[in-house]
Amino acid sequence: MTAGAALAVLTLAPLLAGLLSLAIRTTRAMAWLQGSLVAVLLVAMGLVVGHVASGNDAVVGHLLRVDALGAFMILMLAIVGGTGLIYALGYMGEEHARGHLGYRRYRLFFCLLNLYLWAMLLAASIDNIALMWIAVEGSTLAAALLVGFERTKAALEAGWNYIILSFIGIALALFGTVLVYYAAERVLGVSMEALSWSALHRVAPTLDPTTLKLAFVFVLIGYGTKAGVAPMHTWLPDAHAEAPTPISAMLSALMLNIALYAVLRLKNIVDQAAGTAFTAPIVIGLGLLSIAIAAVFMLIQRDYKRLFAYSSIEHVGIALVGFGIGGPAGVFGGFFHMLNHALAKSTAFYAAGLVLLRHGHKVTERVTGLLRQDPATGGGMLLAAIALAGMPPFGLFISEVLIVTAAYQHHPWIAAVFLGLLALAFATLLAQVLPMILGEPHGSGQHVGSSTRRFTVSALIVNIVALTSLGFYMPGFLRELFIPMIGLFGADVAVKIP
Amino acid sequence: MTMMMLHADLGSQLVNLCSMMLLVTSFAIVAQRRLSACVDLFAVQSVFLAVTAALVAFLTGIHHIYVAAALTILIKAIIIPLILKKVIERLNVQREVAFVINIPPSLLICGALVILAFSVTEPVASLGFLLTKDSLAVALAIVLIGFFTMIARKKAVTQVVGFLMVENGLFLGATAAAYGMPLIVELGVFFDVLVAGLIIGIYTHRLQDAFDSVDVSKLTGSKE
Repeated sequence: MTAGAALAVLTLAPLLAGLLSLAIRTTRAMAWLQGSLVAVLLVAMGLVVGHVASGNDAVVGHLLRVDALGAFMILMLAIVGGTGLIYALGYMGEEHARGHLGYRRYRLFFCLLNLYLWAMLLAASIDNIALMWIAVEGSTLAAALLVGFERTKAALEAGWNYIILSFIGIALALFGTVLVYYAAERVLGVSMEALSWSALHRVAPTLDPTTLKLAFVFVLIGYGTKAGVAPMHTWLPDAHAEAPTPISAMLSALMLNIALYAVLRLKNIVDQAAGTAFTAPIVIGLGLLSIAIAAVFMLIQRDYKRLFAYSSIEHVGIALVGFGIGGPAGVFGGFFHMLNHALAKSTAFYAAGLVLLRHGHKVTERVTGLLRQDPATGGGMLLAAIALAGMPPFGLFISEVLIVTAAYQHHPWIAAVFLGLLALAFATLLAQVLPMILGEPHGSGQHVGSSTRRFTVSALIVNIVALTSLGFYMPGFLRELFIPMIGLFGADVAVKIP
Repeated sequence: MTMMMLHADLGSQLVNLCSMMLLVTSFAIVAQRRLSACVDLFAVQSVFLAVTAALVAFLTGIHHIYVAAALTILIKAIIIPLILKKVIERLNVQREVAFVINIPPSLLICGALVILAFSVTEPVASLGFLLTKDSLAVALAIVLIGFFTMIARKKAVTQVVGFLMVENGLFLGATAAAYGMPLIVELGVFFDVLVAGLIIGIYTHRLQDAFDSVDVSKLTGSKE
């Protein structure tokens, strides 16, 4: 019962806070409002996750149902979304204090950001494939306004590209959803139940495999566009570079994962109906292509926000390879990778935003000596880069090793290609980031206000602590979530590729 | 049930006729040079869509599809075309559609897309109810032509018309092949389309402002 109430709070609080933001008049009041939203989200998330970790689903009515996978997504959304809100208070507060942003647009920003989080939280907790589509579309709409928020020519063009591509993607995903419904109503009848994830999961083996295969292709291309999977990734670097930095962090850390979540839910159903032999080669192929494209393009980026954007494409690819390989190690590796990437990439963008506030440009070459100039920013970016490059002691190292070993057991050549691409991405990322961090500082830049620093640096520290501790220690509740999640994807499944 | 049997033959032919009319209007939009005519054709297409939905509702006795048909008339045949006409007036770009690919090759490509749609859905269509056997293929063809319009036309307004054609194709697919999604889902989709239309309106406005203030002559050449 308490878990149900907590879930209801979780899916209402951001909407309420978003509407209240529009009435706020001072930055101090905004800090209180957003701060309390973060506290409410964390407490409600804790209750829901605790309930689900003890082996039950959290349920509200017929529409909201959170199983282990849903709880995992909510955990990620609440923690990274929480630090994102705190960071945004600092970052947008600084823009406001410098006079770049009137208070009307300042509060509009927080309204949109809250609605954006709201849509993603709904997407993770709705037990209905079509209503989930509506929530994902809602997050796309909020993001469309946030990407072009700064209203420069470049930002508007990036926003327009994002709108066109993600609308195409989301429309394809809806066509896939219609096809799933078309297959399911043969078994479950013309009803709401034919769209429910839990009912679909129950009857999955009896559904028509041909229709589901076609549906999967549409859904993979559709949500894959939103997840930044190559070759549908072309909106992603522009949008990440031109969006306000807190939004770049939220796009990479949360929206890509929500899109991936939607693909995985359907993959699970298609695999039961048609066997993994259909989905695995497509998923692994797109994953490897994403890593390859990202690794090569990271080398030629001159803009550090674009660099981190390409790195996100790489990590989505790595997670896809994990899910494609399957088996306990592959599936666990994929999910663990998603969580750690969310933490590491948001840390990288938080640090990048502080650099942008200080220097006012995004040119990688003209930034040096961050560690000496500003230990918090430089240290945060260094740790994030080490984690993103896949070095120990961070969780991304563990998940990459697991995926490689899982791949090696069944198809060594995939493991070889995968490792080769990882090595390339490792080299290109560090070759770009290390010169920014080491050496002598290059001009002192603009002063950043003390309250801005308080918010941004605390968000940075929370993320780093979470990221580092996950590298050493797996909390009990997280293990209790992972076990049923791996079970959902059939732990005994070992794919056979001809 | 006997009612349905009686109507099935004539009914399925009528539904097929109407969905083919949707396809024909898609081709007409691709072949159109004037922006405002594109918007008019889109409104006509939406009326055909509403008629198809009403036919399906009548033949199957699933009443909530009538609601969806009425909403289609209201939102897609009246409100969104009005918004688009306003945008065209404000941007002052009604003279011509800007092409990446010219009309004759565009029509050829769209013909190929129709063949592709029929061949892709063929194994799935055999499962369908008798009433609407070809509709899924027609729906996919309209979706693909919509995507093509978004890519092959440069003006923001034509891209929007392409997007709306995609929506119409999806709606046709959901109604004719799957007898409509549950009402709450359709309401949600309509709401999203409406908000998407508004956001696109806001964007075209801002794009024009941003590019106008820099160089007026660039306005027609770029994406406005």
